[in-house]
Amino acid sequence: MIISDIISLDRTQCSVDCHSKKRIFEIISEIAIKQNPQLDQNEVLSSLLNREKMGSTGIGNGIAIPHGRIEGLSQIAAIIVTSDEPIEFDAIDNKPVDIFFAILVPNEEAETHLKALAGIARKLSDKEIVKAIRNAENKNQIVAALA
Amino acid sequence: MTKRIKQSLTIINKLGLHARAATKLVQLANTFEADILLTQGENTAPANSVLALMMLESGQGKTIEVTCEGKDAESAMSAVKELVQNKFDEEE
Repeated sequence: MIISDIISLDRTQCSVDCHSKKRIFEIISEIAIKQNPQLDQNEVLSSLLNREKMGSTGIGNGIAIPHGRIEGLSQIAAIIVTSDEPIEFDAIDNKPVDIFFAILVPNEEAETHLKALAGIARKLSDKEIVKAIRNAENKNQIVAALA
Repeated sequence: MTKRIKQSLTIINKLGLHARAATKLVQLANTFEADILLTQGENTAPANSVLALMMLESGQGKTIEVTCEGKDAESAMSAVKELVQNKFDEEE
C-alpha cells in the first residue's frame, strides 16, 4: 500500500489546540465529515470511541493510531492531526500523545486493514519522519514528511 | 542460565496481528525478562514494539517463528503461545 493513497491535505491538521482525549476524537470526526459529507459524524465518532474502549490505540512514543470500521466506506481514509500539547491517552508506554494518525476502514476488510497498518507503521517507525511531523508548522509539512 | 527457544505458531484469529492484537502481545512481552522476537519470512520484529509487529503484516493463516531468549524464556514462550492460540482473546 502506498501511504499517499490514504492521506490527504484536506484530512490533515497541524498543531490543534486540544487538551482532552474526547475532544481529539471529535476533531478527527469533524475533519472526516468535512472532507466526506456522506459520512455520519456520530457513526465515525462512536466507531473510533468504541475501538478505543477496547484498549488504547496509543502505541508509544507520543503516537496514537485511532481507527474505526465504517459501513459503506469506499476506501481507507487517514486523518492526521497533531496537537499543540501532548494529551493524556493511556498509551502503552504511559506517555502523552501529540501525533494522531487515525484511519477509517471499510467493514470486513481484514487484509486491507493489515496492509494499511503496516504501511503506517513503516512511516511512523522512522524517527526522522516522526520528528518532521512533530516539528511541522503547517499541514503541508506533515503531508510532505509522510510522502 | 540464559535459554533460547524457538517455536512456530500459526496466526488463527480473523483479523491477524492488527493493532489491538499487537498491543496485547507487547503488553505481555513486557512482563518477561526474555527477549522475544517474531519472524515471518524474511522479516523479524521484537515483540515489544507495536510498530514493528504491525510491519510484519501477519494475517490469518500466516506462520510466525517465535524466539524467546532469557532466563524466563520458557514461560514467555508458553504465554505467547497461549495468547496466539486464544486468538488474542478475540471472538473469531
